[in-house]
Amino acid sequence: MRRAPLLIAMLAAALAWPIAEQFLPGSWSVLDAVKSIFIFAILGLALNAVTGFAGILNLGIAAFMAIGAYAFAILTNDLYPFQIGFWPAILLTLPIGALAGFLLGAPTLGLRGDYLAIVTLGFGEIVQDVLKNLDSITLGTQGINPLPAPVVPWWKPGEDGQGGGLGLVDLAEETQGAGPLLSYYLFLAFVVVAWLVFRNLERSRVGRAWMSLRSDELASRSMGIPPVRTKMLAFATAAAFAAFAGGLWASWLSSTGEPANYDFQISILALCIVIVGGMGSIAGVLVGALVMIGVNSIVLVKLFEWLQSKGLGASGSVFVSPNSWKYLLFGLALVLMMRFKPDGLVPASGRGERKPSGGRS
Amino acid sequence: MSLLEVRGVTMRFGGLVANEDVSFAVEPGQIYAVIGPNGAGKTTLFNTISGLYQPSAGSIRFAGEDTVEPFSAAVAARALVVGVATSVGLVVALNVEELWRIAIGDNYAYGEAFPWAKAAKDLLAAFPGLGAWWGLGVAVLGFVIGLGASLVLWQRSRRTPDRIARRGIARTFQNIRLFSDLSLIENVLVGMDARMRAGFWSCLLRLPRFRAERESSESDARELLAFVDLGDRAEEVAKNLPYGLQRRLEIARALASWPRLLLLDEPAAGMNPSETNDLMRLIRRVRDRGVTVLLIEHHMKVVMGISDRIMVLQYGKRIAEGSPAEIRSDPTCIEAYLGKEEHG
Repeated sequence: MRRAPLLIAMLAAALAWPIAEQFLPGSWSVLDAVKSIFIFAILGLALNAVTGFAGILNLGIAAFMAIGAYAFAILTNDLYPFQIGFWPAILLTLPIGALAGFLLGAPTLGLRGDYLAIVTLGFGEIVQDVLKNLDSITLGTQGINPLPAPVVPWWKPGEDGQGGGLGLVDLAEETQGAGPLLSYYLFLAFVVVAWLVFRNLERSRVGRAWMSLRSDELASRSMGIPPVRTKMLAFATAAAFAAFAGGLWASWLSSTGEPANYDFQISILALCIVIVGGMGSIAGVLVGALVMIGVNSIVLVKLFEWLQSKGLGASGSVFVSPNSWKYLLFGLALVLMMRFKPDGLVPASGRGERKPSGGRS
Repeated sequence: MSLLEVRGVTMRFGGLVANEDVSFAVEPGQIYAVIGPNGAGKTTLFNTISGLYQPSAGSIRFAGEDTVEPFSAAVAARALVVGVATSVGLVVALNVEELWRIAIGDNYAYGEAFPWAKAAKDLLAAFPGLGAWWGLGVAVLGFVIGLGASLVLWQRSRRTPDRIARRGIARTFQNIRLFSDLSLIENVLVGMDARMRAGFWSCLLRLPRFRAERESSESDARELLAFVDLGDRAEEVAKNLPYGLQRRLEIARALASWPRLLLLDEPAAGMNPSETNDLMRLIRRVRDRGVTVLLIEHHMKVVMGISDRIMVLQYGKRIAEGSPAEIRSDPTCIEAYLGKEEHG
């Protein structure tokens, strides 16, 4: 259990951060950006199930995120008759994503390695095109907005400081501070739930079957593991949680954004999170999300703000905009990882430079 | 009744005939060996028995049943359901904007209550009028595609390695194929998967069924590791194990599903004399657990030492079958192995 201290430390830091932030200067406030780390942690955990555990390279995870985001939007926005609210909609993204994964997986999971990766790549493009061109339903490139922010059921902050009461509360309508804070903890809770789900699966016959297929498909089949059904389970589970992350993403932005937001770059970003963190390592994926999205949404943004305050970024030159550098940095990070730490920052057990006498984690 | 009955199995790869009309039967409780020179088709025969290849001709029966899954009402029902679902799915997908407009667009006015019943009625009423004559064509096409695909997939999966394994035939490989980045105990637990019953949800939610099964399966796995003398290394990663012990782990993994028949593909390959002796003892102990053993081996000492029956293959054909003593004195076998005696 040597991953446990790391996970506990990360959880404690995540719990304490909003409190710590109170004592820091205003420009340090990154609560909202940390939520995107949480969203991508869920996306990374999903991708890790299919790519890290089952060994199926999925280059179209963003498509399932898009499906989740649009499903959430159509189920909640008042342009549509459903309007079922945050909780039913966010929970429905799970079966909707799983169904999408099943529909893509059913005819294609018999394919081997590279071919399947190409299918997922194509699916990622198709979904964007469908969402863009089905504009009588999805509003095309406009995106659907506004979308409901997370609500916490049965919890309502006292309006005059007299303690909480029961009732559904839209966090967006709350007084300043309390809303973002609660939704921060809600997003954190979602990450913890996703972590528990994938940890439970990993340490059960389901996860072992996935890993055996990754390790040696022929031997695995000869042990009685049905390959297509087992891969389907991984694929659909990943699709479900990717769609869930998509729903959260849309809720966080209060908009689906345009379909092109869910492009190949998102899929690659998710893949980078898994690779940098460590393929097949749940703790690694959480670290990967922290590092990659932390750099993407916090470090680079703050750097840009700092440069602007020095009068450097204002000229509009692409060279002084850290945002223009990010894919170079990500590419460089990947190259360096592959060269020096190919198993990721927190390698999965059984991989990396592990001593023969090491314990199981 | 024989446990395994191979009848007239022929395996062709294009013009190459790897096995030709091979027949033999393995009785329960036997150690049965298949021997023959390199390229005689022994491993092909194993791969055919374990479901990796489909025989070009002949049949393989296990415990009195044909190993090819028969056509059943459930298969037909599933194909019909898939056909109908594909048909409806295709029609909906091709008309999604039209259907959306009829059911939702025309019925929903911003800010007003949505008439659900009317929307459902409109939606159903819309189907017959879709796309005039080709609407029906699309529906039929979808049905045919769904039904056909379902049946083709079923046909291909009638005799797969995982189904054969679940029937009770386990195997090891000539070139060891462990799950190298899993621990020893995890390797054995994968082998046990075929007899585990906890489903996806009970694994995900750690329901009592999962917990009970985890306890029993882990203790079974440790017992099996102890059986092959690897009990004290359960948590090690398989790839760190020395070669001779990897073979033992492979046998433990194969035994984990409680098979009735164990196929061992050259278990003594690459072993030194003392490891070979240990292996022979292990194979006998496996048999004493009630598992019938079918093995391929080159090592004559092993074959003659432990087998109850021996079959000799040459150029894909069976040239002799009998007890070790019979094989030892059979002129065709001596010829196949040692070359022909020159007379005159």
